[in-house]
Amino acid sequence: MRSALARVWAAIKYLAVGGGTALLGFVALVGLAVVAALSLVGIGLPALPEAARVLRVLANRERRRAGAALGEAIPEAYRPVTGPLPTQVRTVLTDPATRRDLAWLVPHAPIGILLGSVAIGLLPAAVNQWAIPFYWYLVPGGAPSGFDYRVTSWPQAGFAVVVGFLYASLTLALPRLARAQARYARWLLRPAPGVALSDRVAELTATRAAALDAHGAELRRIERDLHDGTQARIAAVIMQLGIAGQLRSRDADAAFDLVRKAQETAESALVELRDVVRSIYPPVLSDRGLDGAVTALAARCPIPCELDLALAGRPPAAVEAAAYFIIAEALTNVTKHSGAERARIRLGTAEDRVQITVVDDGRGGADEARGSGLAGIRRRVAALDGTAALTSPAGGPTELRVELPCGL
Amino acid sequence: MRVVIAEDDALLREGLVLLLSTAGIEVVAAVDNATDFRAAVEAEQPDAVVVDVRLPPTFTDDGLRAAVEARRARPGLPVLVLSAFVEDSYAAELLADGAGAVGYLLKERVGRVDQFLDALRRVAAGGTAMDPEVIAQLLVRRKPDDPLATLTAREREVLSLMAEGHGNGTIGQLLVISDGAVHKHIRNIFGKLNLPSDDAGHRRVLAVLAYLNAS
Repeated sequence: MRSALARVWAAIKYLAVGGGTALLGFVALVGLAVVAALSLVGIGLPALPEAARVLRVLANRERRRAGAALGEAIPEAYRPVTGPLPTQVRTVLTDPATRRDLAWLVPHAPIGILLGSVAIGLLPAAVNQWAIPFYWYLVPGGAPSGFDYRVTSWPQAGFAVVVGFLYASLTLALPRLARAQARYARWLLRPAPGVALSDRVAELTATRAAALDAHGAELRRIERDLHDGTQARIAAVIMQLGIAGQLRSRDADAAFDLVRKAQETAESALVELRDVVRSIYPPVLSDRGLDGAVTALAARCPIPCELDLALAGRPPAAVEAAAYFIIAEALTNVTKHSGAERARIRLGTAEDRVQITVVDDGRGGADEARGSGLAGIRRRVAALDGTAALTSPAGGPTELRVELPCGL
Repeated sequence: MRVVIAEDDALLREGLVLLLSTAGIEVVAAVDNATDFRAAVEAEQPDAVVVDVRLPPTFTDDGLRAAVEARRARPGLPVLVLSAFVEDSYAAELLADGAGAVGYLLKERVGRVDQFLDALRRVAAGGTAMDPEVIAQLLVRRKPDDPLATLTAREREVLSLMAEGHGNGTIGQLLVISDGAVHKHIRNIFGKLNLPSDDAGHRRVLAVLAYLNAS
């Protein structure tokens, strides 16, 4: 019973607010009609993008409202209105979301106002019907009972009580009406399936090009490191050993010196090879996984680190490596620049993305333009089509948030 | 000295056996995976073990885990770990029980035969042998206000060699300075790092490593 009443109350609030937005929508529609009419003769065009923005604000409000009521977020899929005016106008006119917004608003404005009024008025009206038998005879000309109908006799007053029960029972239908309104909003305001997909394809095409660029740069770096370092040194070792073999009978001491030198050269080749391997995929990752590797990073960090490792499953190797380097780089920055007393690392998974958060309690004011570490983080994130956000107000705290798609 | 070797690369394994036998060290078992290693340690009760970090069956850190386990079963069992790369947290794991008698070296150090044999003997005698690379890793990534920053370049060199596990004599030879100078540097280091300086032997090394690992 209590929950039924709570539902009715929630529905009344929902529909009342809906009435408010419908009223705003009505005003917006009038404005839109004016802008559209003026656009037909050309002079309204500059106002078109602005009008579309108003429409989007309204629709987004409804998305949030309906999404909250239905317990499921309604995504928006607008094309960004940017660039010179003609481009903006074209975007607004060709974006299918504009049409869907209008298709939602035109019926919503009148129906929403009506439903809002009913929701607000129904309960007070029922109470009035029940009160009529007590006061109708005191009102000159009869008690008003709605729709210009006046109660002027006892049988009419008795009928009013019945109507009161009818009204009261109608309020029980309000939750269903509220739900219908929310569903209607969801039906028209969520992106048409094809639209979401084609926009996503366009976005992915752009980010994939950037990712391939970043990836190509990484491959070239590895090739250069191996070619200029390891490969050249191993060639030198072979040469030194070859010459030592030649010298062996003529000058044993010189031959021995060369063997020693070859050993040193081979050692430095190994050092470089190890650096290259580490820069591709740190061995500790394959030994211990991302959790273990990050724990090792945190243990090594001179600033106390709190760890919150909540990874569901093991991400692909490329993602693990990127996450490892990003955290290592972030911790280096924290150690060197922040003056922090402590740091916190969070690793989590949400909607097939790995989320990394590194927060410190230092002095803040990290400037992306100056630190090369942050540029490196951006590069790694771009290579995997991820996102990175740095907030670092003066006085701290500094927070780095990175999301990497991983298909977990 | 009786030694068990666990190394999966056949060339390296045979090289190690040859090298140790030539030096008069008895290799009682040379195996190529962690499972056989556990059995061999159990059966042979060696004086020391030489283990590769990455071994079959999983080709991750099986060797390291097996070595740590073996030490749990036989506290103080001298363990010399070899690896193609160093990871300072692995060193910390080996040192964690505070018993000493551990070594952690890059594989190519085996090529410096005398130094390698010296390291193995040191470990077998309860000392430590940390790869310079491990110490280098421990020395970077420090806070700007770390007391280590107050050390002179020479003191840093002495600290690194000490952390690797070398005694005063070796440190003096390597840096070409007198014993007295080594003593003086060590006193200064311990003063600056606020470490008790009464220990002279292995415990001193462990104190330094604990300091480097902790802060």
